[in-house]
Amino acid sequence: MTDITAEAAAQSVKPTIFFDGVSSRRRQVVLAFADALEIVEEGGTPILWPYADIRRADSPAGVLRLASTSASPLARLEIRDAALAADVTARCPRLDEHQTSRRGIAKIVGWSMAAAVSIVCVVLFGVPLAADRLAPLVPKPIERRIGDASEVQVKTIFGRSVCDAAAGKAAFTKLVNRLRDAAGLDDDNMTAGVLPSAIPNAFALPGGKVYVLSTLIDKAESPDELAGILAHELGHLKHHDNMRGLIYNGGTSFLIGLLFGDVTGSSAVIFASRSVVEASYSREAETAADTSAIDIMHALGRSPKPAAELMFRITGKEGGSGFTILSSHPLTEDRLARMTREDRPASGPPLLTDTEWQALKGICGSGKI
Amino acid sequence: MQWAPIGSEPLPPPLPPARVDFTGDRSMFRKMVTKGAMLELVTFGFYRFWLVTDIRRHLWSNTVIDGDAAEYTGRGKELLIGFLFALAILVPIYLAYFLVGIEFERWQGFASTPLFISFYAFGQFAIFRARRYRLTRTVWRGVRFWMDGSGWLYSFRAMAWGLLVFLTLGLALPWREASLERYKMQHTHYGDLRGDFVGDGWEFFKRGWWLWLLSPIAVVIFPLAPFFYAEFKAREWRWWLDGIRIGGVSVSSELPHNAFYGVYWKVIGWWMLLSVVFGLYLGGATWLVNAAGMAPTGPDAFVRSIPLLVVMVIGYLATVLALNVVMRVYLQHDIWVKVLETLEVHDIGAAADVQGRGDLASALGEGFADGLDVAGF
Repeated sequence: MTDITAEAAAQSVKPTIFFDGVSSRRRQVVLAFADALEIVEEGGTPILWPYADIRRADSPAGVLRLASTSASPLARLEIRDAALAADVTARCPRLDEHQTSRRGIAKIVGWSMAAAVSIVCVVLFGVPLAADRLAPLVPKPIERRIGDASEVQVKTIFGRSVCDAAAGKAAFTKLVNRLRDAAGLDDDNMTAGVLPSAIPNAFALPGGKVYVLSTLIDKAESPDELAGILAHELGHLKHHDNMRGLIYNGGTSFLIGLLFGDVTGSSAVIFASRSVVEASYSREAETAADTSAIDIMHALGRSPKPAAELMFRITGKEGGSGFTILSSHPLTEDRLARMTREDRPASGPPLLTDTEWQALKGICGSGKI
Repeated sequence: MQWAPIGSEPLPPPLPPARVDFTGDRSMFRKMVTKGAMLELVTFGFYRFWLVTDIRRHLWSNTVIDGDAAEYTGRGKELLIGFLFALAILVPIYLAYFLVGIEFERWQGFASTPLFISFYAFGQFAIFRARRYRLTRTVWRGVRFWMDGSGWLYSFRAMAWGLLVFLTLGLALPWREASLERYKMQHTHYGDLRGDFVGDGWEFFKRGWWLWLLSPIAVVIFPLAPFFYAEFKAREWRWWLDGIRIGGVSVSSELPHNAFYGVYWKVIGWWMLLSVVFGLYLGGATWLVNAAGMAPTGPDAFVRSIPLLVVMVIGYLATVLALNVVMRVYLQHDIWVKVLETLEVHDIGAAADVQGRGDLASALGEGFADGLDVAGF
C-alpha cells in the first residue's frame, strides 16, 4: 500500500515539517503516498490528506507549503526537498485551483469597467435628472434653513454690517419688489440686501435670499443695469438653482470620488473632472437664469442689454483665455451678444426715478465700501 | 532545528537570538506592483484591493522567522466587501454630518468646523480595526495572531493624546505613541500568548528631542527635511521594535539612525524625474494640439480643448501610478527589508508550543480606513 521509494525520498536531508493548525509545534514528519497523502509523525497516528483537497499556500522560494480544504484551516505541510515537492505536486490535481488566474483578473477588470460605465452614466444623466426633479420638492422650511446657514457664513465673510441707509433701502426694496412681481415669485419670505464689499458681484442663496455687493451698485450707471443683474439672480431663485446645485454637487463629488477611490493623488483628477462636469451644469443654469432675466425685463418693458454691458465692463472680454471648458459662467461676450439681440426700446416707465437711483447709489453711505 | 517538548531537559543555556530573513526577490516585487498599477489604471482603482493583498502576501510569505515563513491569508475580495459595507455605513453618516453641519452654521458661521474632528476620531477607530483585520490574517507556524480591545476606546485615547500633542506643539508625541502602542500590543495575541509593549515615551523622547528642536530649520532649508524625516523614522522604528513583547518573546533591532537616507532620496529623485517627464509630455501635447490646429480659440472653444484635457488627464494618471510604483518599491518593500535585516528575536522558544486562539475579524475596518483615506500600522 505504501510507496517505499517515496518514503525513502522523504527521509532525505531536508526535513518535512507539519503544523497541525491547532498548536505552533513544529512536527517533523515523513510522507507516504497511499490513496491519500499520509503525514506520519514518529509515534503518532498518520494524518490523511486526500490529494484532491490539497492546495498550495504562500511560501518563500524553495519551500512547498500545502494546506488541505478538509483539514484545520491553518494546518500546513512544508516540504523543503525539491524532489519530494515535485512528487507531491504531481499527485495533487487541484493544487492551484484557488489562485487568482488570468480569468479572475479579467473578471475584476470587466466588473470594474461595468461599474465605471454605470457611475459615469449616473453622473451624466442620473444626478442632473434627480437634482432637477428633487430641487422643487425640497420643503420650503429646509431650504430656508440651509439658506440661513449660508447667510451666516456669507455675513462672516463680508462682515456683519448691512448697507441700509433709509432712502436707499426704500429705493432698493421698490426695485426688488417690481422685479419679483414681474418674475412671478410669490415668495413672501424673499429677502434682498446690499452688503459692503470691494468685489462687484451679486448672488442668490437658498430660501429666497438675494444679495448685491456694494461695488456692483457703484459701477452701475443706470437702474436698468442693476435691475438686469437682480433679475438674473431672481431667475436662479425661480429655478431653485441653489438646491439643484447642492444636490448635484454632492452627488457628483461622491460618485466621482467613489470611481477613482484611493489611487494616491487622485484628488486632483477628482477635482478636475468635477470642475468640468459641474461647470457645464452651472453654465446651463446660468443660461437659464439669463433667459429668466430677459423675460422679466421684457415684462417690465425694459431692455436686458444694459445689465450685460455692466457685466462686460466688469469682466472684459473672456474668450481665448485657455480652458473655457472649466468656466462656470457663459462667456460675458456671448451673454452680451444674446442680450443685445433681445434689446428692445423701452416701453414701460423707468424702474426708479432719478432721485431714487441716487438714493440707492448712496445706500452704503458716501465713500464707504 | 527541532523543538523538544518544554520541561523534558534540564535548563538549557540561553539560545542565541533567532534570525529574521527576507527571502523575497526585489525585481519580482517590482514587476508585481508595476502590473498592479496598470491594472489599477484600467479598473479605475478597483484593483487596489487585490494589489494590496498581493503586496502583503509577498512580504509576509518571504519573512522567515527562525526558519519558518509567515503567511498572509487575507484576500482581495474580503477587502472589496469590507469597503462596500463601510460605504453603506459612511454614506448616511456623511448625510447626517451635512444636516448637523447646517444646524450648527445657522447658529454661528463656520461653527461646524469642529464636527470635522469627529471624522478624525472615526479614522482612529478605522486604524485600530484595520490592524485587527491584518493581524488575524497573519499566520506563523499554523497559528494566527489576533486582537481584542475596543476600537472606540483606542480612538478616545488617540484623540485625548492628540489634543495634548497639539497643545505641547508636538513635544508629547513620544508619550502618545507609547500609550497607543501599549494599548494595541496589550490587546494583541499570538495564539494563547499575549503581547505587550515596554517602550516608554521618555526613551523615545531622549532619542529624538533634538529633531523636534531643529525641525524649524528644515522648513527654511528645504533639502534638510528628508534627512530629518529619515532620522526620525529610523529612531521611531527602532524604539518601537525594541519595545515589542509577545509572551516571553522579545525583539530588538540595531537599525542605524541613517538607514533610510537613501530610500527617501531615491523617492525624491524619482519624483523629480517623473515631474520633468510629465512637464515635457504636457509641453509636447500642447504643441501637438496647437500644431494640429485644434487650439482652443473661437466661440465653441471649450469643445475643442477636450482632446488636450483628455491627454492631460491620461498623462497625469500615468505619472501618479508610476509614482505609486516607486513608493511601493522603496517605501514599502525596501524599508521592510531594511528593518528586517536588523531584527533579532530573543527567547523564541517561548513560542514553540502555542495553542491557536482567536477568530477572524471582518475587513470592515480596512473598508473604513480606505473610505476615510487613513493609514496606520
